[in-house]
Amino acid sequence: MKPSLFGIISLVLCLCSLSLISPIVVRSVSAYPLHPKDSIFGIAPEDEKYYKTSSDLVSCKDGSKKFTKAQLNDDFCDCPDGTDEPGGISYVQPMKLEVHDISLIALEIGLICDIVPEVVIANCCDGSDEYDGKVKCPNTCWEAGKVARDKLKKKITTYQEGIALRRQEIEQAKLSLAKDEAELSKLKNEEKILKGLVQQLRERKEEIEKAEEKERLLKERKEKERKEAEEKANEENNKAEQETNQEIGKAEEKTYSDEKATESLHDDEIGVLEDLPPDQDVADENDESAAEAEHGDSSGNERSLVNGVEENAAEAKEESSVLPDSGSKGNDISENTEGLSKEELGRLVASRWTGDNTAKQTEEVDDAKDRDHAEHEEMPGGTHDEEYDGYASETDNENERYDHDNDDVEDEIDDDFREDDHDDSSSSYISDSENELDLSDITTASNPSWLEKIQKTVQNILRAVNLFQTPVNQSESAHVRKEYDESSEKLSKIQSRISSLSQKLKYDFGPEKEFYSFYGRCFESKQNKYVYKVCPFKHASQEEGHSTTRLGRWDKFEDSYKVMIFSNGDKCWNGPDRSMKVKLRCGLKNEVADIDEPSRCEYVALLSTPALCREEKLKELEQKVESMNKEQPQSRDEL
Amino acid sequence: MRNLNLLFFLLLALHLSSVLSWKKDEFRNCNQTPFCKRARARKPGSCSLIARDVTISDGDLVAKLLPKNPANEEDRDEIKPLILSLSVYQDGILRLKIDEDPSLGPPKKRFEVPDVIVPEFSSKKLWLHRLSTETINGDAVPSSVVYLSNGYEAVLRHDPFEVYVREKGSGHRVISLNSHGLFDFEQLKSKGEGEDWEERFRGHTDRRPYGPQSISFDVSFYSADFVYGIPEHATSLSLKPTRGPGVEDSEPYRLFNLDVFEYIHDSPFGLYGSIPFMISHGKSLGTTGFFWLNAAEMQIDVMGAGWDAESGISLPSEKSRIDTFWMSEAGIVDAFFFVGPGPKDVVRQYTSVTGLPPMPQLFATAYHQCRWNYRDEEDVDHVDSKFDEHDIPYDVLWLDIEHTDGKRYFTWDKMLFPHPEEMQRKLAAKGRHMVTIVDPHIKRDESYHVHKEATQKGYYVKDANGNDFDGWCWPGSSSYPDILNPEIRSWWADRFSFENYVGTTPSLYIWNDMNEPSVFNGPELTMPRDSLHYGGVENRELHNAYGYYFHMATADGLVKRGEGKDRPFVLSRAFFAGSQRYGAVWTGDNSAEWDHLRVSVPMILTLGLTGMSFSGADVGGFFGNPEPELLVRWYQLGAFYPFFRGHAHQDTKRREPWLFGERNTELIRDAIHIRYMLLPYFYTLFREASTSGVPVVRPLWMEFPYEEATFSNDEAFMVGNSILVQGIYTEKAKHASVYLPGRQSWYDLRTGTSYKGGMTHKLRISEDSVPAFQRSGTIIPRKDRFRRSSTQMVNDPYTLVIALNSSRAAEGELYVDDGKSFDFEHGTYIHRRFVFSDGKLTSVNMAPTSPGKSRFSLEAVVERIILLGHPHGHKSALIEPTNHKVDVELGPLGLQWGGSSAVVTIRKPGVQIADDWTIKIL
Repeated sequence: MKPSLFGIISLVLCLCSLSLISPIVVRSVSAYPLHPKDSIFGIAPEDEKYYKTSSDLVSCKDGSKKFTKAQLNDDFCDCPDGTDEPGGISYVQPMKLEVHDISLIALEIGLICDIVPEVVIANCCDGSDEYDGKVKCPNTCWEAGKVARDKLKKKITTYQEGIALRRQEIEQAKLSLAKDEAELSKLKNEEKILKGLVQQLRERKEEIEKAEEKERLLKERKEKERKEAEEKANEENNKAEQETNQEIGKAEEKTYSDEKATESLHDDEIGVLEDLPPDQDVADENDESAAEAEHGDSSGNERSLVNGVEENAAEAKEESSVLPDSGSKGNDISENTEGLSKEELGRLVASRWTGDNTAKQTEEVDDAKDRDHAEHEEMPGGTHDEEYDGYASETDNENERYDHDNDDVEDEIDDDFREDDHDDSSSSYISDSENELDLSDITTASNPSWLEKIQKTVQNILRAVNLFQTPVNQSESAHVRKEYDESSEKLSKIQSRISSLSQKLKYDFGPEKEFYSFYGRCFESKQNKYVYKVCPFKHASQEEGHSTTRLGRWDKFEDSYKVMIFSNGDKCWNGPDRSMKVKLRCGLKNEVADIDEPSRCEYVALLSTPALCREEKLKELEQKVESMNKEQPQSRDEL
Repeated sequence: MRNLNLLFFLLLALHLSSVLSWKKDEFRNCNQTPFCKRARARKPGSCSLIARDVTISDGDLVAKLLPKNPANEEDRDEIKPLILSLSVYQDGILRLKIDEDPSLGPPKKRFEVPDVIVPEFSSKKLWLHRLSTETINGDAVPSSVVYLSNGYEAVLRHDPFEVYVREKGSGHRVISLNSHGLFDFEQLKSKGEGEDWEERFRGHTDRRPYGPQSISFDVSFYSADFVYGIPEHATSLSLKPTRGPGVEDSEPYRLFNLDVFEYIHDSPFGLYGSIPFMISHGKSLGTTGFFWLNAAEMQIDVMGAGWDAESGISLPSEKSRIDTFWMSEAGIVDAFFFVGPGPKDVVRQYTSVTGLPPMPQLFATAYHQCRWNYRDEEDVDHVDSKFDEHDIPYDVLWLDIEHTDGKRYFTWDKMLFPHPEEMQRKLAAKGRHMVTIVDPHIKRDESYHVHKEATQKGYYVKDANGNDFDGWCWPGSSSYPDILNPEIRSWWADRFSFENYVGTTPSLYIWNDMNEPSVFNGPELTMPRDSLHYGGVENRELHNAYGYYFHMATADGLVKRGEGKDRPFVLSRAFFAGSQRYGAVWTGDNSAEWDHLRVSVPMILTLGLTGMSFSGADVGGFFGNPEPELLVRWYQLGAFYPFFRGHAHQDTKRREPWLFGERNTELIRDAIHIRYMLLPYFYTLFREASTSGVPVVRPLWMEFPYEEATFSNDEAFMVGNSILVQGIYTEKAKHASVYLPGRQSWYDLRTGTSYKGGMTHKLRISEDSVPAFQRSGTIIPRKDRFRRSSTQMVNDPYTLVIALNSSRAAEGELYVDDGKSFDFEHGTYIHRRFVFSDGKLTSVNMAPTSPGKSRFSLEAVVERIILLGHPHGHKSALIEPTNHKVDVELGPLGLQWGGSSAVVTIRKPGVQIADDWTIKIL
């Protein structure tokens, strides 16, 4: 700051020059009650030499011309840069400055005071100044500056505490990161082993099933032979009723072949399922395992549902690409508008200007649709078809619950999540408990030897049923099936956990991983009727009642980790896709505030967090306050 | 699901196509408008009317118009003659009225637009008592001739019927009506058996209970090079022909007030306002004007030369005559001929009929900041403080429709604007004002007090069935006050009192939008023509004046609110002849395109020519996002609009001046500063407009009527008589060709560089400014110290910039009053005339000095006098009567423009602006 002091003074003081750095100061100065006799007024001590020349002429600093000492501070700009009017050009201000201006000015004053106290005295922070040389302005500057200084001090305290918190955070992050990495490598290891086991089990299961099939066919053949024998006997007995019997026979035949068809279909189905990669396996109709593997089940259903929905979506897309075409044949909406009711027409026309105002109904459908699609694609346990177009509020609620679920990790299932209390007004929470994902039976911490256990079980099974005979032992085969289902489900869980972990580890968590704990968390802030949610590395959204608008998906950090960017949010009518910029600043708690929409569909928010409390900045602030205190005027009379 | 999907995609498809652009097909063209189609098909000479029974009665010439040879002798008795009257008014104004004969019992009295002609006008009538007849050019029947003014006579030719004005002595025709025999007047009649009068357009049915009633006729302007006027169209200043050889298929210029979504920049299509006043100008005969007071839909053709070649009609002065063809759906003929002969004379004559623009609030002549919408009080506060932070002055912050509680005007959204009074007071503390929007569509909501009262009192416009008309606008289902009724206007005016409009303070003023009126689900987005107003008047008859009455009632409301002590400020989008009396207008929903910047100039000039001197275009363009360069150029040009407001659609990006980087902020600040510097000059021009009708900004030919090169120039314009401004309408322009008229030289407004007049200069263009010049021989008063707002500048010292002509002389004026009250009407103002000649500047009083009257006192001095075109070398000047000397030296022309230019400056003369004094250069 010091080297440019001279420049600042000249800028601040030279009112003739209009390219001023701080207009507020300019106005303050311009309101200064100029003391006509005091020609050296407004000259900074360092600058006195410039004006105290032996000659009567002083040069304008821009070199454009010279002015006489009599022209110094004579309320007439001789120099375009204002060198000759260091005290500022006066005017009669017809109205007093309102007090609310002061806060705005105060901060500036805090700084300016230090440089040229007299100018700030002139500012009359209480707004009582009027130029006519009659009103004496008290020096309220130091007092006014106090506000700024206090603010600064407070800021420093915050930084000091924040830096400590940040350090903890970083330590924690390092631990978590190490833990996650360890877990990942361990899981990968386990995955490998489990894959082998599942493969073995599947082979065994297939063998059993083959054997069972054989057995069944054998049984059927026997049954058939028995029937044929019976028929032969009957034939001889009842020749007279032959014709009637023929019909009955036909009917029986039909039933029989139906049965057969069902069975073979069943076989096919199993075959298909078995061909699936193990992690995508779905529990079969075995009640027992289905109950145990509820997650696997629902996830399976979900998956098939997703496909269904995607098909629907594809269909819908086709429609949408066709319809505007047919509409544009008329090249105009005239044909269409005539069919509309007066109200529809009114809304339609209004929507040209607003897009969202009067066309709200359409848009709501639009939004709802989009959201539904999105959720079907991305959210587990979403809605099902009947609810899809019904768009019941219940469904909505559920969707909302999932709204801060993970977009990127696909097969995430979490139980804890359901327990999450969404009425909680707390501004920050863990959005989904990936870390506490329900892997209790497989998590290394809770049960280190589960894998061994499984291994053992599998070995036992394999050994026990190694030489099975016909008829297949029912309990044995069930046991194999169960084991297979459980293991493959576990495998799928591990795989999804691996994928979510590696996904997570791909993110940029800052130079010191200080944002590590942000992963999986959301910060929310209520503003009027809206609830805003900022979920770093995921998305940001705005909720109003039951409707959620996505303001953006995680994009990146910007401005050396001082800004988070969420982009590609929901489409804005006639505008850009929504986006959100979250500015980070040092604070003791993670809190989102000051959400604003400065441009349509471009949101900004402030997130205070210890992660931003950096030591360099603290040093800067400390220097600033130090230099301010130094500049306290001892006595302004001497000036 | 399928159905829902279908509906949704259908709507989406409609949606998308509606975003594209102007929906031409939503509006009727001439062929879809039966009266227009019929009239355009008529052949010259088809009018068979002749004038009979010509007499003088009550100071007017009156006559009957009858067909010469009725098709059938027996029908003779059936024929209803039309009544014609010619009246003459002071200052060369001829008025022609033609209507049905009320004594013959027509089914309905045809509508005459009330309250447009100012009451004082009737006192200017000259009572005719002598009628002379003269047989002209071998006519079979003599014509009647009456005195019009010193140099002019009005002639009624009896057979065939024709009315014209001619120069006395030379007999040269000036302007004429029905010279091509295209006059047609459809008289009201009873519906015949099986006759279908209904008209259908895009699903709307107009029942037309009175049947065809249109009027059309031709008007010829003699020795005219160009015709101008008849706003509002987004088109060139000089009106291009719409019919005739070599003219592509064109619509006529349409006058029908409509809310046009995304209008295009070059079209004869009618926009938000209508003024059926046309001006012709030619080098040899000067300027003439024609005004048809009629508020029904009008269509006007400008005929290209040779259009009548096959008609066999030959008129004297064939050379450079411009024929026009006027068609209106209803009403009567009430037409005014203005003889000029100068451009300013015609404008004065026209405003003597329709009224002068009043003195505006001083703050309203400064910069306005608007956006759809400043969201809430915090936003307002933020924007306001940003202006201070960036050292950009502004005077008014505007709130668009979103500030209301659900588009119920006169209310506030309690969530967003919980403390409206405090908000206004905060602005007022810095001398700033606020404007809120109040539109005519009233939300049909039983709990809304305005609607409740209007319903109870029967104050709404009725539909064809006599029920309250129910249309769709911003609030949804809405009704519209029947503002034609004076009682309803008075009720409406009372809505603006501080008690009725809760949350308002004296620093709040009003904006009337959508007052065409806009009806989203109506035919052509407006009210059905068969809707009924006060006195059984159909909307078709008064349509173009609806916005006018609305503007009037709102302005009256503000006068009432201020107990007659505070000037109103109301901005209106719709307008009609006479709207200048009630406030400012703007050119509506333009777009952020260079072409729209370009067309804003002819649009504003045309408005000025037709009385609307206080007008502007949305700076930056309403729709779309301007590139920073376009925005900067728009500010640089907009700073010279009479009404200077930045505005933007809600879907656009924020564009407050500081959002485009430091350099652009600087450029915009500089542009706005220029406006503030020139405010004393602008205010003086508003005074001139309020006393003479001569607009604040003018086409070049208004100041240089004999220079043909200026006649069709609408890239440049004059601000008063002293400043010429040329817009820059292209991206990255490096050069511009600027024609500087006159024999005297011009001085660049910022550098003082002089340029020769009477030639085109190819100038290098910088990003700093658009080319602007001070005409030599003029004196411009300025205020060079920048404040937060114009009201803070009241006591600031003046700078006088004197641009000397070749005989080292110059003159100029300054008008100052309190900027807000009506005290000036009682002589409480300062009006100085500055004359520089023989090396001496004299300040002369022009204000009345009758004793006893309070004088306007102002403690402001002249701090600087700049002399352009004065040789340097003089050291001092002597001031009288104080007899003291001051220094003369070289100084900058404008402090903010750097120190490069050095111009002769009289330093600190310190004379009071209100006093008589002389300053002699020694």
